[in-house]
Amino acid sequence: MSADGADLAFAPIEELAPRLHAREVSPIELADLTLRRIEAINPRINAYYTVLADELRTDAERAEREIARGQYRGPLHGVPICIKDIYESGRTTCGSQTLQHYQAATESVAVRKLRDAGALIAGKAATFEFAYGMPSRQSPVPPVRNPWDEERQAGGSSSGSAAAVAAGLAYAGMGSCTGGSIRWPAQCCHLVGLKPTYGRVSRRGIYPLAWSLDHAGPITRTVRDAALMLQDCAGFDEGDPASANVPVPDFTAKLDRDIRGMRIGLPVRLYEDCEPVVREVFEEALRVFERLGAELVTVPSISVEEMDWIEYPALWSDAATIHFRQLRARGGDYNPNTRQYLQWGLLVSSGYYLTAQRCRAQVRDDLIELLTKQVDVFVLPTNGFQSPPLIPEQPPGLSFLSGFHLYTAIFNFTGLPAVQVPCGVDRDGLPVGLQVAAKPFDEPTLLQVAHAYEQATEWHHRHADL
Amino acid sequence: MDSREMVIAKLAEWDIVPSEEDLAELVPAYEALLQSQNVLENMLRTRSMGNAMEFPLSEPAVIHDMGRYR
Repeated sequence: MSADGADLAFAPIEELAPRLHAREVSPIELADLTLRRIEAINPRINAYYTVLADELRTDAERAEREIARGQYRGPLHGVPICIKDIYESGRTTCGSQTLQHYQAATESVAVRKLRDAGALIAGKAATFEFAYGMPSRQSPVPPVRNPWDEERQAGGSSSGSAAAVAAGLAYAGMGSCTGGSIRWPAQCCHLVGLKPTYGRVSRRGIYPLAWSLDHAGPITRTVRDAALMLQDCAGFDEGDPASANVPVPDFTAKLDRDIRGMRIGLPVRLYEDCEPVVREVFEEALRVFERLGAELVTVPSISVEEMDWIEYPALWSDAATIHFRQLRARGGDYNPNTRQYLQWGLLVSSGYYLTAQRCRAQVRDDLIELLTKQVDVFVLPTNGFQSPPLIPEQPPGLSFLSGFHLYTAIFNFTGLPAVQVPCGVDRDGLPVGLQVAAKPFDEPTLLQVAHAYEQATEWHHRHADL
Repeated sequence: MDSREMVIAKLAEWDIVPSEEDLAELVPAYEALLQSQNVLENMLRTRSMGNAMEFPLSEPAVIHDMGRYR
């Protein structure tokens, strides 16, 4: 280990857990290291809104006592993690001026489950306002800086969770995803981001952005870490109307199986506008799947334009419906970008909305048929452009309609599980990622393929140089 | 009624008055929204009255029922 503890700070949970269990590393040591790094680095990258230093240390002492008594709870026991600040837990601001003083009376189900598994909550991580409005010059909080290039964004909206994990300020983070907000920041920060199947993780106690698109999931350093985090936050919850009453499998069960003979579907039409700087890295990654014995198969797909126009009406309308009273009463307290997105949702007609929902059902059924009859998983780039400048000269506003091509939303509105995995860096040294998607509730196969790729490469051993 | 007037009128239904800064973003976005309607219409496979009875392609996905795919 290096003198400043950097090696320990960037260790994946899968390596830490047996050392914690064997008492070679202590939860207090991890908590203190995390707090020291937060104090030194967070002022540079703005990953945390709220640091729970006293609570973290108290919980770490309890974890240490429990492990010493032989009451080891599992791989997350004694591991500091961070939580996106739209999950209810203590002070919960959603990155908004409108909630700067809100103290949650209860704790979100996912956070409670992770605590029950022994995870230690280091703090509340930054987010786009209400997981929606991109940073602007009028934002009440400073933008999150990408640990890989501090003059660029860390993606969004779970930008704080990703930046914290990438900078060694937490060992994993929880994010939420409505159109790509787990996978995109994970891609920007060279991490794994897992959006489980819709309904797999309870969203009770998480501020909604769009009810039929919202998912909760982890951002981690390795695929196995993502499986471990999902294991401890998944499960039916009657308090979430969309929660699926299905068994929770062992998400690590297939991780060590090879992928020889598997058929990987490439929805090429969806990412045909991918910038060359990203495409060349992605195509090299495809060669790895071939070397592992998988067969690459081009499959029919909707275009990115069609994907966006299916996603947007539900996203805009749901969000506007959630916020319109507050928008009317306190519109001036929102970041202008957020306010404009919300107003826009009130312009969507019911006919337009339902037409998009019909297309959505069609695409969902098409993807599931492909996964049932032709291929085992889909693989595609996570996005098609480099991480944007911290705050562009031209504020993003509604201009994200063009040239902002994340290839992630298709798996939000169809509900399929998808995971982002680092697959290299571009010629400017910025992370590039690929995503794998699978059948509903087949996260074990999803993670099997992602893990096989990860283990065949060295990318997961790299971290930001801070 | 032009696009600007339409945006103002639609938001007025919600008792919301957009600023000039907001309108500068909302008006072109609203025009893009109208144009995109064709994108969706062209995607739909069932367009005639008769074909609309073909379940499930004509059924809107109001909320997921993921359990059916388990």
